[in-house]
Amino acid sequence: MSLREVLTPFTAWKHVLDAPVTIPDPIGREAAERYRGFHQNDMETCIGCGTCEAICQNGAIDMVPVEGQVTEKGDSGLRPMIDYGRCCWCALCVDVCMTGSLTMSNEYTWVDTDPDAFRFIPGLEEPWKDKEAGYRREGGRELSGTKRSHMGELAPALRGDNFSEICAGFTREEAILEADRCVECGLCVATCPAHMSIPDYIAAVRDQDYDRGLQLLYETNPFSEVCGRICTHKCETSCAALHEGDPIAIRWLKRHIIDNVPMERRLELVGGAKPANGHRVAIVGAGPGGLTAAYDLAREGCAVTVFEALAAPGGMMRYGIPEYRLPYDALDRDVAVIQAMGVEIRCNMRVGRDIALDDLKRDHDAVILAIGLQMGRGTRIPGSEGPGVEKAVDLLRRITAGEDVPVPERVVVIGGGNVAFDIARSMARLQKATHGTVGVTLTALEDRAHFLADAEELIEGAEEGVEIIDKRGPQEVMRDASGAVTGLRSWAVTSIFDDQGRFAPAYDQADERVHEGAMVIEAIGQMADVSLLGAELTEALDWNRGRIAIDAGFRTSEPWLFAVGDAVKGPDVINAVADGHRVAQSVMERVSLQEGIS
Amino acid sequence: MLSFQPDRSQYPQPGPDGRLEVDLETGKYLKLWQGPNHPGITGNMSVELTVCGDEVVEGKTHVGYLHRGFEKLMERRTFIQVFPIVCRVCVPEPDFNEYCYAAAVEELAGIEVPEMATWMRTLILEMGRFNSYMMFLGGISGSLGLGLVGQWMTYVRDLMLDRFEELTGARIYHMFILPGGVRGHLPEGFAARMEEVLQTAEKYLADVDRVMFSNSVFRLRTEGVGVIDPALFERFGVTGPNARAGGVVKDVRKDSPYLVYDQLDFIPASGKDSDIFTRVKVRRADIDNSIGLIRQILEKMPKSGPVMARLPNVLHWKIPRGETYIKGECSRGEYGYYMVTDGSGYPRRINVRGPSYTHAMALLEHLIPGTNISDVAALMVSLHTYPPEIER
Amino acid sequence: MRDLHANLKTRHALGPFEPRRANLGFVTVPAERLRGLLTELRDVHGFTHLVLLTAVDWMEDGLFQLTYLMNDRAGDRTLGVRVMLNRDEAVGEDMHDLWPTAATYQRELKEMFGIDFPGSPRVDEEFILEGWTDLPPYRRDFDSLAYSQQTYAERPGRVTHDPRAHMKSKLYPEG
Ligand SMILES: Cc1cc2nc3c(=O)[nH]c(=O)nc-3n(C[C@H](O)[C@H](O)[C@H](O)COP(=O)(O)OP(=O)(O)OC[C@H]3O[C@@H](n4cnc5c(N)ncnc54)[C@H](O)[C@@H]3O)c2cc1C
Repeated sequence: MSLREVLTPFTAWKHVLDAPVTIPDPIGREAAERYRGFHQNDMETCIGCGTCEAICQNGAIDMVPVEGQVTEKGDSGLRPMIDYGRCCWCALCVDVCMTGSLTMSNEYTWVDTDPDAFRFIPGLEEPWKDKEAGYRREGGRELSGTKRSHMGELAPALRGDNFSEICAGFTREEAILEADRCVECGLCVATCPAHMSIPDYIAAVRDQDYDRGLQLLYETNPFSEVCGRICTHKCETSCAALHEGDPIAIRWLKRHIIDNVPMERRLELVGGAKPANGHRVAIVGAGPGGLTAAYDLAREGCAVTVFEALAAPGGMMRYGIPEYRLPYDALDRDVAVIQAMGVEIRCNMRVGRDIALDDLKRDHDAVILAIGLQMGRGTRIPGSEGPGVEKAVDLLRRITAGEDVPVPERVVVIGGGNVAFDIARSMARLQKATHGTVGVTLTALEDRAHFLADAEELIEGAEEGVEIIDKRGPQEVMRDASGAVTGLRSWAVTSIFDDQGRFAPAYDQADERVHEGAMVIEAIGQMADVSLLGAELTEALDWNRGRIAIDAGFRTSEPWLFAVGDAVKGPDVINAVADGHRVAQSVMERVSLQEGIS
Repeated sequence: MLSFQPDRSQYPQPGPDGRLEVDLETGKYLKLWQGPNHPGITGNMSVELTVCGDEVVEGKTHVGYLHRGFEKLMERRTFIQVFPIVCRVCVPEPDFNEYCYAAAVEELAGIEVPEMATWMRTLILEMGRFNSYMMFLGGISGSLGLGLVGQWMTYVRDLMLDRFEELTGARIYHMFILPGGVRGHLPEGFAARMEEVLQTAEKYLADVDRVMFSNSVFRLRTEGVGVIDPALFERFGVTGPNARAGGVVKDVRKDSPYLVYDQLDFIPASGKDSDIFTRVKVRRADIDNSIGLIRQILEKMPKSGPVMARLPNVLHWKIPRGETYIKGECSRGEYGYYMVTDGSGYPRRINVRGPSYTHAMALLEHLIPGTNISDVAALMVSLHTYPPEIER
Repeated sequence: MRDLHANLKTRHALGPFEPRRANLGFVTVPAERLRGLLTELRDVHGFTHLVLLTAVDWMEDGLFQLTYLMNDRAGDRTLGVRVMLNRDEAVGEDMHDLWPTAATYQRELKEMFGIDFPGSPRVDEEFILEGWTDLPPYRRDFDSLAYSQQTYAERPGRVTHDPRAHMKSKLYPEG
């Protein structure tokens, strides 16, 4: 050992004069920009989906009601409460958050004598509530998929001249990918009028358990072939996934389940009806409202007869919705399961013409009206009476029925809703097949951004050659000397509603156009044909703004008579289904009550 | 020579079952517990010594003071939920757990990690190694009564923790490397701030060299003490600096390159005397390696690009049946995760291999007999033991 | 590695080779062939490093899997040697003479899985646990959640709500 090695260590003394490196008062030291400190939650963007709770590996998060947060469509009204006795600051809750509302501030000192203070709801009054610095996930939501899975579709060139179904439905791989994105929060269930067990049947797709999936579908909806294709799918507008990506394709997943269970298996899984209970129920109209009620009542053991005016069951599902969106055989499969429950459907039986409503009343314990809205509304503009002007629903019905409909080279459609597109695109197909070209002009009051029709109708319609002209108010159907229709005269729309929000379109008369066409089709709404009631019953019933009045149980003011579907409420198949269940329940209550009396 | 050249023949030999029959009644032997509360113990561990005078006849390692059943906990968590707990297996160098776990999941799930993320991971691991060595230098000097180095190193480590904080959002348990990639990019100006830290570190390390390696007391107490015969290395699972100090240049970064180590220049530090002094020296040289590697990484890494791969929805994540082993060179040697999956949403089994498992158990117990009581602490620390990775 | 497997296969009655990466693979060997295989791997083929020894509980199949991870550093090869043991009378073969460190692994396996290794030094001594009387805790049938619920008190006052059920109660309680 050299002397040097004895002396060198003493060089350390040189630090004696250094300023201390310690921070004298560490309280208040600002943490780094992305430090994972106390939580923050933007109460307005939070939707209470509970995904943060689901991912928390410490079980530190509870979802709790918070004053001021309302439970409404797409928002459970719950908010996360965090137990800092358990939190490990991993921020998986932040990463997984569906809306990005949950973040962390870089605040990390908090002193309190009350241990329960550390169980807190971020987003209320905490001092770091609005602090900018802190952990936010980089990029978008990465822990659950944001992009909708691909689904095959017929290309415009292949579908323009025929009524083949456009959507192919998911393949298994596509469906599993899509089902994987669901976080099972269940916010959608409240929005679905039938409150279908959406997260559960999506889980069944993930697990590739189609039997379970089918059973779940049938618990709430006997029209999954139909709804899996054409449902208005409002559920998807309250899906948690839409906040930073595409909502889950709930509708297509439903269709995927039903596509994967063959008919015989469906009947096995659904099971038979209860033994006959001796009650007889008549239903007028074989649309989704009537048939859903029929399904439930038949399963309960009632003898159910459905009287349908047209040649085949289905109502607007068959005679309104075009085949390229909903093929008839898909509808037939749903109807077949209903018939298998013992429901008798008597077609070509228009009540009020082929059989009287009174007869039904006499022979049954209860009668349900499910007659829908069969008559198209007219615009009543000059020239709209007479040949060459058609109602959309009439034309659609005739197309389904296979009747000859005139197919001029140029057609003008009035209306911007889904029905208008259905007829426009149907006529476009017929034109293409007949003339090789498409000449459909669709005019609507609304501007493009506010069309009532679904966005994909505008896209697909345009792809198929429909000319879409927005902000046009129809003024006159033009006719030549012989009276033949030559076109539609329209003015530009300046506003649709007045200051009070009432429907009162205003026009710029200087901006006038004539849309050429040998046929004008009105697609501006439908109304019910209640002539079957007869004068006496019409008089006796309570009415509500032109519709038969009903209570929450779909009972009319006449104890034996119930009413459901578009005729009294609407507006779509899934509502008709949901209400079909409810009316069936009311009918069961009534007939069991009668049983008690007799 | 002050170091001990024990003549074991004087002592009773352990029986075939490994038990040593010592009759304490004779008054010749004394039981002495070193730890679990002892400044010479890195963490919660104790060595039960049987001494005769100031010579140690037998030493038994006791762990379990910090057992949290991590491997069991992991089996009860989904693949993403495991990620925040793995780092807790090892406090001083937690990131290896994050890396090994993430890489095992990625391999079994077939996930490709973006290039940027592999550079970031390497950076994190070298920063972690650096910090682990800071604690080691403090520990070894502390175990020999040289408290000053510990104070310096704590300061330097703290500066590195600041860098960890700004990069990962946390100081100790970073939870930054997760299956699929890492959680973020480098903050603006990070490289410059890191350079400052490295330069400060180099200044302090120069001081350490003077007070430690050029210190007669330190040398006297560590040279020739605690020698591990390199012939024992394979039988006792000796890896990392412990092996390198005995001339066996084991370094997973070179032997089986992972992340971006094959794109980085460095020569693993090594020595040949296999004593405490050399082991410390090797680690000291390895710090320089880490500093160099951090500089290289910051210079060579891509400047932009994604840091995360697309994951399936982690809430339903299932991984097909399989098993794998992922390893890396941590500051103490070979660190690894053995993971078995069964097709469900949960790992079937995860086994964490920490180098201390072999170093501080079988090896330490083998080395202790015949040492002097006052050398035991330095001997144990010189193996660089982190008890939590033994008991997990 | 495939060559190695082909070379050893018949002599040691090995199962099929299951490659994981170029430098990692797994193979199953009958328990009675284990010692021979490990010795040959160690002494002839360069697999001198016992990386780890651990167990996997395949409770549903009534089996314990022992995994001996063997590493050949020079060749950068790792072979996972698996031995399947009957779970009901789980006894493994003591290997501490080949690697003294095996004794530690074996002691842990005895404690955590209840797999015995007769002849292994101090195999019955407590390793990590102290005064443990329950099932060996790493067995799949030991329910750690139930254990913690029985052993530790939950802090009172925590209630959570399921969003879907909560929305039902608020928006459509009738169904
Ligand atoms: C063109 C068009 C497209 C549509 N597209 C969609 C869509 O994509 N998605 C969606 O969800 N909804 C859509 N709808 C709405 C949907 O079809 C209706 O909401 C739904 O069919 C209403 O069901 P319902 O049972 O009340 O009546 P309907 O389906 O209209 O059925 C009523 C039935 O009663 C019969 N009937 C009426 N009077 C008598 C009588 N006196 N005697 C015997 N039978 C009688 C009718 O012939 C008819 O079959 C569309 C509607 C139309 C018109």
